[in-house]
Amino acid sequence: MERLRDLWRHRALVGVLVAREVKARYRGSVLGFFWSLLNPLLMLAVYALVFQLLLPNRSPSTSPYALFLFCGLLPWNWLSSSISDGAASLLTHGALLRKILFPAEVLPAVAVFAQGVHFLLALPVLLAALLAGAFGAFGPRVPLGWALVQVPLLLILQAVLLLGIALFLSALTVHFRDVKDLLQTVLSVLFFATPILYTLKDLPKGRITGLLALNPFAPLFSGWHDALFYGRFSPPGTWAAATGISLVALAIGWAFFDRLRDSFPEAV
Amino acid sequence: MGVLRPPPRLLPGGRLSARSPVAVEARDLSKVYRRWGRTRAFGTLKSALLGRGFGKVLEPSETVSALSAVSFDVRRGETFGVIGANGSGKSTLLKLVAGLFKPTSGTLRVDGKVSALIELGAGFHPEISGRENVVINGVMLGLTRREIERKLPSIIEFSGLSEFIDEPVKTYSSGMYVRLGFAVAVHVDPDVLVVDEVLAVGDEAFARRCLDTIKEFSARGKTIFFVSHSLALVEELCDRVLYLSGGRVAGLAEPREMLAAYRLDVSAGEGTRLLAEHAVEQASLRAEESVPVPGPATASAPETASEVEAPPAERARRWGDRSATIDGVRLLGAAGDERYAFRTGEPVTVEIEATPARPLSDFVFGVGLFTPEDVCVHGTNTEIDGFMPGEFDGPARVRLAIGSCDLGPGTYLIDVAVHARNGTPYDYWRGACRFRVDSPRPEAGIWSPERSWSIDGGVSWART
Repeated sequence: MERLRDLWRHRALVGVLVAREVKARYRGSVLGFFWSLLNPLLMLAVYALVFQLLLPNRSPSTSPYALFLFCGLLPWNWLSSSISDGAASLLTHGALLRKILFPAEVLPAVAVFAQGVHFLLALPVLLAALLAGAFGAFGPRVPLGWALVQVPLLLILQAVLLLGIALFLSALTVHFRDVKDLLQTVLSVLFFATPILYTLKDLPKGRITGLLALNPFAPLFSGWHDALFYGRFSPPGTWAAATGISLVALAIGWAFFDRLRDSFPEAV
Repeated sequence: MGVLRPPPRLLPGGRLSARSPVAVEARDLSKVYRRWGRTRAFGTLKSALLGRGFGKVLEPSETVSALSAVSFDVRRGETFGVIGANGSGKSTLLKLVAGLFKPTSGTLRVDGKVSALIELGAGFHPEISGRENVVINGVMLGLTRREIERKLPSIIEFSGLSEFIDEPVKTYSSGMYVRLGFAVAVHVDPDVLVVDEVLAVGDEAFARRCLDTIKEFSARGKTIFFVSHSLALVEELCDRVLYLSGGRVAGLAEPREMLAAYRLDVSAGEGTRLLAEHAVEQASLRAEESVPVPGPATASAPETASEVEAPPAERARRWGDRSATIDGVRLLGAAGDERYAFRTGEPVTVEIEATPARPLSDFVFGVGLFTPEDVCVHGTNTEIDGFMPGEFDGPARVRLAIGSCDLGPGTYLIDVAVHARNGTPYDYWRGACRFRVDSPRPEAGIWSPERSWSIDGGVSWART
């Protein structure tokens, strides 16, 4: 708890660093911030093309599929980029830890929040797409309404989860440089193991399906699908699971990070 | 091992209200670096998970002690210098005081906000402008946004980069980078300023300016912790100096005393090195064949060395007709010990071993003393000093004792020779010996006479 207060105290620092990351990313490009809008827009266009025209949908519960995919893919992008940036964050900014008195936990947090900003910038595109979907632009109409109030909560839960994971992995990466390589593989496996391309309900009942339900990311992504695509409120069980998993991840991540903290300036 | 730390220094206004007269207090400070050795170099997550327990891999396999049992107090408002050879633990101590590293044992208490000029501009982002970097750097160093916005004009003015401040930092030269970094660091307004070797970068004008700033800090009663290899700077700036040697405190006193102790230790270490170098040099000279010389006219025997022009550098290092051969040259200290590092005023003996090819009745032993620039400091021989040759018919050892080596600090070279009275060289070794002279005081010139001052009238001296 004390450590959480530390992070809060450093919020100004996190703030300027997040702003710096975001700015630096678009510095020198003509379209600047528009890339954050344009990228998801192009992504949606490609999916729409592929899944409306080339590969028509199979399951009615995930139709229109392009929109369904979009709803899961944006949070996933935030997740996977935060995890890989976060894991590398201490090493990338090693000079700061070695040369100036710098609170290390700020670095993984900045990775998570900077990617979070990109997600937030893409959110208007998602909402516009959902609005278009509500008028049947992608085929079957999608419901749009009060369920959207769940979005801020999902944002917070995902940020907490990512913070925990990034803290854990960044500390681990300082001591084991190969985490970074391993991570790419793990993330691509997780992509398929997480209900993004499908819903758990649609899967054939079996042992594998049971296993997939244990994926710690599953409740969160069901939440995103419920809030965005299905326009319904998630059952309390999903909320409880997602909240529990996020808090546990943060607790573990923070404890691990704290234990190794003193070794960072010398080891990075 | 309770490590007392000041309240978080990154907090704006994280100052202590109660002012103790001691700004930095170190007690039995030790720092042991962990080295993970072989297991570490190839340590991967996989091997950690498959092999021994996870925790075990994180245990160090080897330790290196960088500082041991270091204790000192830095008084508030004092400029405190740290000197020592490379690897003596200066940087480690600096990082401990700056709060970057934690001591392995002992306690360190730093009272007040610390700003470290260790690496200027650490954390600048190349893609964004100087102005934005100043803001971010300021927040990193513990200012609030409001404070930094207020100080921004003064920082830009100080850095002298107002023309370029809105350009991305990646377009800056390394000097500009450092100037901007320094400008931010001094505007953090710390209670304790930790200064590393930062003044070495940047041009003369800026270095001067940095120095003035540091002096101004000192004048405002700030505590400065100063680490440098520049002894002149340490002497100029510091009130007291801590001398570290091999991670231990070798002394803590006023600058003059500590710098003298340090200089003497350095020359002692130099002596060991010179002794080894001498052996190598002698071996190579011994192996060198003498170059026959046409006649006495071109041969510059030691006694004439000061009169004839200095031998050109490319000339052979050894020449003569080998009627007699020099077998070796050594320098001896007062106790008859061989060495090549002396203190100003110490006695020095030059010892020459020589063997004649046949019994000789015409021979002179000569010694010449030169600076590396080939300026003859002194030249003498047995004839000048009144010895008339008799018989030289077997291996001999000739010693020239110099009662007091009144040379200024520096490196000197010795030529030795055996030659005929008309100057025809039998064996001439140029630069047969090289030795160092060190003085506890940084005096100038090659002559260091015994001396004293006396002044009458309206002059009095401060106590030193």
